[in-house]
Amino acid sequence: MSEFKIGQREVENVNILELKGYLDAHTAPKLEEAFQSLLRSQRFRIVVNCRDLSYISSAGLGVFMAFIEDVRNAKGDIKLTNMSPKVYNVFDLLGFPLLYEIFKDEQEAVTRFFPKAK
Amino acid sequence: MKLRRVFLLGGAFLLVIFKFALDVVEKNVELDLMGLGLIRELLIIGSLGLLYVVIDALASRRESTPVRKLGFVLITMCAMILAALGLSASGVGGFDTKNQALVPLDYPSIFLASLVAIAFGIFSIIVFRLLRDLILINRKPAARRNWLIFSALLLGTSASCLTTRPLDSWFATSILFGLSILFAVMNSFRLPWIVYLTKREKLFSLACGFFLFVGFTALAVQVGGGTLLKRSLLYYSHPLHQFIQLVTIFGSLYAGMAFVSTLFHLPTAEAFDRKRSEVSSLHTLSKLVTQVFDFNELVDNVTSMTLQVVGASSCWLEIIAHAGGEDGPAPLEDASYGVHVAAMKNITQEEIDLLVSPERRGIRDSIVSDRKAIVVDDIERDPRFVHLKKRRGIAGSLVVVPLVSHTGLAGILYAAKKESFGFVRDDVDAISAFADQATVAIENSRLIRESLEKERLYREMLVAQEMQKRLLPQYVPVAPTIDLDAISTPAFEVGGDYYDFMEFGDGRIGIAVGDVSGKGVSAAFYMSEMKGIFQALGRICSSPKEFMVRANEALAGSIDKHSFVSLIYAMLDLQSGRLTVARAGHCPMLHISGDDVAYVRPNGLGMGLSRGPTFDDAIQEEVIVLGAGDVCVLYTDGVTEARCGDDEFGYERLMATAREARGKNAAGIKEEILATVSRFTEHRANDDDLTLVVLKWNGSDRRP
Repeated sequence: MSEFKIGQREVENVNILELKGYLDAHTAPKLEEAFQSLLRSQRFRIVVNCRDLSYISSAGLGVFMAFIEDVRNAKGDIKLTNMSPKVYNVFDLLGFPLLYEIFKDEQEAVTRFFPKAK
Repeated sequence: MKLRRVFLLGGAFLLVIFKFALDVVEKNVELDLMGLGLIRELLIIGSLGLLYVVIDALASRRESTPVRKLGFVLITMCAMILAALGLSASGVGGFDTKNQALVPLDYPSIFLASLVAIAFGIFSIIVFRLLRDLILINRKPAARRNWLIFSALLLGTSASCLTTRPLDSWFATSILFGLSILFAVMNSFRLPWIVYLTKREKLFSLACGFFLFVGFTALAVQVGGGTLLKRSLLYYSHPLHQFIQLVTIFGSLYAGMAFVSTLFHLPTAEAFDRKRSEVSSLHTLSKLVTQVFDFNELVDNVTSMTLQVVGASSCWLEIIAHAGGEDGPAPLEDASYGVHVAAMKNITQEEIDLLVSPERRGIRDSIVSDRKAIVVDDIERDPRFVHLKKRRGIAGSLVVVPLVSHTGLAGILYAAKKESFGFVRDDVDAISAFADQATVAIENSRLIRESLEKERLYREMLVAQEMQKRLLPQYVPVAPTIDLDAISTPAFEVGGDYYDFMEFGDGRIGIAVGDVSGKGVSAAFYMSEMKGIFQALGRICSSPKEFMVRANEALAGSIDKHSFVSLIYAMLDLQSGRLTVARAGHCPMLHISGDDVAYVRPNGLGMGLSRGPTFDDAIQEEVIVLGAGDVCVLYTDGVTEARCGDDEFGYERLMATAREARGKNAAGIKEEILATVSRFTEHRANDDDLTLVVLKWNGSDRRP
C-alpha cells in the first residue's frame, strides 16, 4: 500500500519530479532525498507533477515546507501540477494554494519560470 | 546388609573348618572313598562361593577408578607373593605322592596348605572380579560375550578336575584349559579404560602393569611348577588349583597387555589431556554463556580458560565498538572503530597498547577487514611488530582470533606466549572455539540489553500516553443550551491530535480541534505546546481569528519548518447560538440543520506554514446561528481518511452518517460515527490519530 516512486526529468532547464503512489510518513524521506540532491546540484527550478500521486499525508506536505524557503532564497521555486481532486483538497484544506503555485498542467508551470522568453 | 555379610563369612569359615577337620581325619584314617573327596571339594566350592558373594557385593558397592583397581590388585598380589615366600620358608614337611594323590607329611602342612589355598582362592576371586570390571567398562556386547565364555571355560576347566586325583590329568581338562587360555588372550585385548586416563594415571598404570605382569608371571610359574605351593594347592583342592592357575595366567596376560598398551598410549597422553580439558572448558563456558547477566565474569572466564588450555602466558579480549555509536557489532564496511579491553590476564593495558598500539593498527586492521585468525610465530622478526624494538619480552608469539557474530565483528581475542613459535594448529582451533563461545555471550548480552532498553522505552511511552490523556479535557462544558461530547484516540501510544474547550464565564465557550503534522512523539510534543498556547491565549482573545493569528506567532518560534498545526476554533454564544468559526488549515466543520448538511469552511492557512501577513490575511471567520436540534461535528482527518484498502471514509460518508444520527444526543451521534468508521475499516486499529467533538444545540431557535 505504501508504494511510492519518484521519476525525474528535465524540461527546458526545469527539473520535473513525478510522484507516484502514497506519500506519507514512511515514504516522505524519499522525496526529501530527491529535493536534497536537486539542491546540492544547484537546481532550484522545480516542478512537482502529482498526476499519479494517490495520497498525501501531513508528513508529505511537510517535505515541501522544508525546502521552499531555501529554493526561493536561491531565486527558484517549487511549483505543483496535475493534482487529482482528492490530493488537491488536502493541499487546499491547509491553505497551500496561498503559498505555492499550483497548475493544472505541467507545461504551464514550466513556462511560468520564463515569463519574458515566451 | 551387614548381618548378611557376617552370615556369609561365618558360613564360609565353618565350611573351611569342616574341610580342615576332614583333611586331618583323612591323614590318620585311610578312607579311600570317592564320595569323601567329592564332599571335600564341595565344601571348598561352597566356601569360596560364599566368599565370592561377599567380594562381589563389596566390589560393586564401591565406585572406583581403573587405576585404583589396578593398585588394589597390585597390593593383594604383593600379599600373595609374601604368602608364597612364607610358605616355602616355613619348613613344613610337605606332601608325599601316593597313588597319584598327595599325602601330607605333617599337620602343619595341612594347616598351611589350607591357609594358603584359601588366601589364593580369595585373591583369585578378587582378581577375577576386578578384571571383569575393567574389561566390561563400556559394556560392549562382544566384550560381555567373550567374558562370559571365558568365565564359563574357567569354571568348566576347574569343574572338570572335580573327580580326578590331584596328579591325574583328564583329557577334557587339557582341552578346556587350552580353550581358557585362548579366551584369556582374547579378553586381555579389552583395555578400553586406558584411553581415558590422564597422563599421570597412564604413568601409574604403566608401572602397575609392569609389576603386575612380573608378579603374576612369577605366581603363575610357582602355581604351575613343581613347588611346595603347587603341591599345597593341589592337595587342598584340585579344582581350586586349576582355577588359581588360570586366573594367575590370565592376570599375567592382562597386565602384560595393559603395560604394552599404556606404553603406546603414552605419547598421545598429553594431547588427549589437552583435548579433554578443552572439551570440559567449552562445556563450562557454554553453561556460562547463558548467564549473560554477568558479562564481566564471562569474559574473565573466557580469557582464563584460554590461558589454561593452550598454556598461553597472557591473554586478553577486546570488544569492538564502532564509530556510529550504535550499540552493536561493527558492519564490515565501517573502517573506523573503537576498541576497549574487556578482560586481560597477565598483561597490562600499557603492554597491550605497546603490542597492538592504537596508532599503528596493523594487526587489528587485518582482523577487522579479513576476519580470519592470525598467528604471529615470531614477534621479534615480524615486520608488523618492528615498533617493539625497545620492549621485547612482552610476548614471543601471538594468536589473534576475531569474534564474528552473524551481525558483524564483536571483538578480538588475543593469546600470547613468551617463546616464539609457541602455538600449534590445535591451539589456534582451541582459541577459536573459545572466541566463538565469547561471541555468543557478547551477542546475548547485547540482545538482553536491547530488550531491557525496549522495555524501558515502552514504559516511558506508557507514561507519556498517560500524561497526554491528562492534557485533554477531563470534562466537557455543561450548559442548558448545549450537549457536548468528545473523544480522541491516538494511533500509537501518543499522538498529535488535540481538542480543548474554553469557558469564558460570560456566556461564551470555545471549542478547538487540532492536528499536528506527523505522528507519535514529535507530534505529541507540539500537541502539548498547542495546549499551552490555547490555554494562555484562548482566554484573552476575543475572536477566533485573533486567537489564530497570535497562536501562529507563538508557535513560529518553536516549530521546525516541515511541521505545522492545523486547527479549527469555534466560539459559541450560549444564549444566542451564534457560532463563529475560524479554520487554520483544518478539516471543515460539519453543520447539520434539519435535513440540510453542510461543511463550514472559512478560508485559512495551517499554523506554522507562514509567518506574518500571509497567514493573518488568509484567516477568515464564518458565522452561523444554530437552530434547535442543530448538530456540529468537529473532527480530525483520522475520521475522513480512515481507510479500507484504497478507499477512504471521506466527507460524503461522514455527512450521511451524521445526518442519519442527528436525532440522537451528542454521545449517541459520536458513537454512531465511531461505529460506522470502525465498520468501514473492518474494525482494524486506526492508523492515524482520530478525534471527534460533537456539539448539539438544545437552545431555542433564534434564527432570523
